[in-house]
Amino acid sequence: MNMAASKSGRGLLWTSFWLLVVFLYAPILVLGVFSFNDRDIVSFPWQGFTTRWYEGLFDNQQILDALRTSAWIALVASIITTVLAIPAAIALQRRRFRGKAVASGFMLAPLVVPLVVLGTAMLLLFNYIGIPFGPITLIIAHVIIALPFAILTLTPRLERIPVAIEEASRDLGAGALTTFRAITLPLLAPAVVSAFLIVYVISFDEIVLASFLAGTTTTFPLYVFSQLRLPRQLPQIPAVAVIVLAVSTMLVVSAEVLRARSDRLLGEGQLRVDEDDTATVVGAPLGAGGSM
Amino acid sequence: MAIAGTTGPRRSRDAATRRSASTWAIVGAPLVWVIVFFVIPVIMIAVYSVGGISGLSPNDIEHWTVTPWKDFITSSTYMGGINPLGSGLFWKSVKMSLTVSVTALILAYPVAYLLAMLAGRRKYVLLLVIIVPFLTSYLLRILAWRVILNPQGVVNTFLQDTLGVTNEPIQGLWNSNFAIYVVLSYVWVPFVALPIFVTLEGIDEHLLEASSDLGASRWRTFWTVTFPLSIPGVIAGFIFVFIPTIGEFVTPQLVGGPSGFMFGSAIQSAFTAGLDWQFGSAMAMFLVFTVAILLAIFGRWLNVRSVAA
Repeated sequence: MNMAASKSGRGLLWTSFWLLVVFLYAPILVLGVFSFNDRDIVSFPWQGFTTRWYEGLFDNQQILDALRTSAWIALVASIITTVLAIPAAIALQRRRFRGKAVASGFMLAPLVVPLVVLGTAMLLLFNYIGIPFGPITLIIAHVIIALPFAILTLTPRLERIPVAIEEASRDLGAGALTTFRAITLPLLAPAVVSAFLIVYVISFDEIVLASFLAGTTTTFPLYVFSQLRLPRQLPQIPAVAVIVLAVSTMLVVSAEVLRARSDRLLGEGQLRVDEDDTATVVGAPLGAGGSM
Repeated sequence: MAIAGTTGPRRSRDAATRRSASTWAIVGAPLVWVIVFFVIPVIMIAVYSVGGISGLSPNDIEHWTVTPWKDFITSSTYMGGINPLGSGLFWKSVKMSLTVSVTALILAYPVAYLLAMLAGRRKYVLLLVIIVPFLTSYLLRILAWRVILNPQGVVNTFLQDTLGVTNEPIQGLWNSNFAIYVVLSYVWVPFVALPIFVTLEGIDEHLLEASSDLGASRWRTFWTVTFPLSIPGVIAGFIFVFIPTIGEFVTPQLVGGPSGFMFGSAIQSAFTAGLDWQFGSAMAMFLVFTVAILLAIFGRWLNVRSVAA
């Protein structure tokens, strides 16, 4: 007998699941459908299928500029965040040191501070030390809010890499850097990619800090925000929204799938050290543990 | 640290010293970044709000003072006293955060329960289906709701032009508290589902069997065994929605119309429009204290790991 729910209880629970799925996806679907409606305002009646809002995108220099700005800011922010998060995660997961609780508290705390507070705090700092507002201040701020997410993405993977492998490498005479480059980093790689993608999406999407720190820079969220405040937005906005949602969904899903798949390999596979002295996990055929 | 027993005391002490030096070498960069760009700025707001720093905006008081705090705490617009039923913007934001986090919890709990307890091997895929919308663009999902709910939106034009059941847009669907609550709950449901799922998944199913063997019904087992054990997840979900929502100003402004001016909006406009930065800093610090109190009360049930599972 299943103790978690009776047969009718299970039916109710599955209904609630599918209702939630509809609640979560219906708005996005509606947006997608109406981005093809041949009408100047985004609403009924349906006046026929058109792709002209999508075509119009490429003539709208403002949208393209905003997308380009956000794309490179997010790129720089995710590179810096990932580079900082790898040693941070290793120190917090692998090492014991004095002040560790405080250090981990500081690095994870941005997760529990309202963004409006972070925005005002950094506004004061940059004013005080005289860094002009723009891409640089945005990148610095995005690294702060993304760092906890990157660290928390890397830590579970680090936990699954046996310390014994690293110790074996050290016992065989490899230095700390060599061990990191040849053993830890290759095994950590899937989580690194995953963290990078998640940080990219966070930075690309960020609006609150941008509203304090962007100066005259117009990121994509700031552009959408300015459009959303108008009583009617351009019909191209839903079109660009659909494209951005599709791309970010793809990034996030691939990050998750990649991580889940390589975690399974790490659990079941064997370690192989190649001739170029880097470690890989081999042995478990893909799909051995079910679809995911 | 457990190192193999063959190393003598002297060698292991050397190793320990070396490791500790290299630990600071690796943790140094991220720690410095966080201290310079996060810890110091937060300390700066605190000091600035009592006049310890000045000269950043035209109206700054240039000596130590409690005036910004006094003005804020006693103002009926921003604070409205310590009465939670008062009219202050702070309490309006508290009410919004409570409504949104409780709604999100109620929507997420049954689904997290189903996935953790009954969905078998598909559970991670189905969980991903729930979580993916959270990780895609926030502003664009607000846009989607606008397309649906606004007076010329999909719902209203469908009712008017297609069905012809009404002649004018439904009141309160957009630019209302209703819109704020719907959109924010929508945004946060996936995030709440995660920690609940993680705690429910960690429950030993033998406990449920034991409860059943001792004669408890499923309903009784749920309320006396499963639900109490899942409370850490519920609290984590609550806190991780309540904290960001209490400072919200972007969403309320975009979907709430005239009723969308929140405590977060007051802080933002003190800096952008009002140029009353010390007053804004006092309000921002007040939010920090609010969060600190919440974390002091509920912190022991929080596992930050559960949000990144």
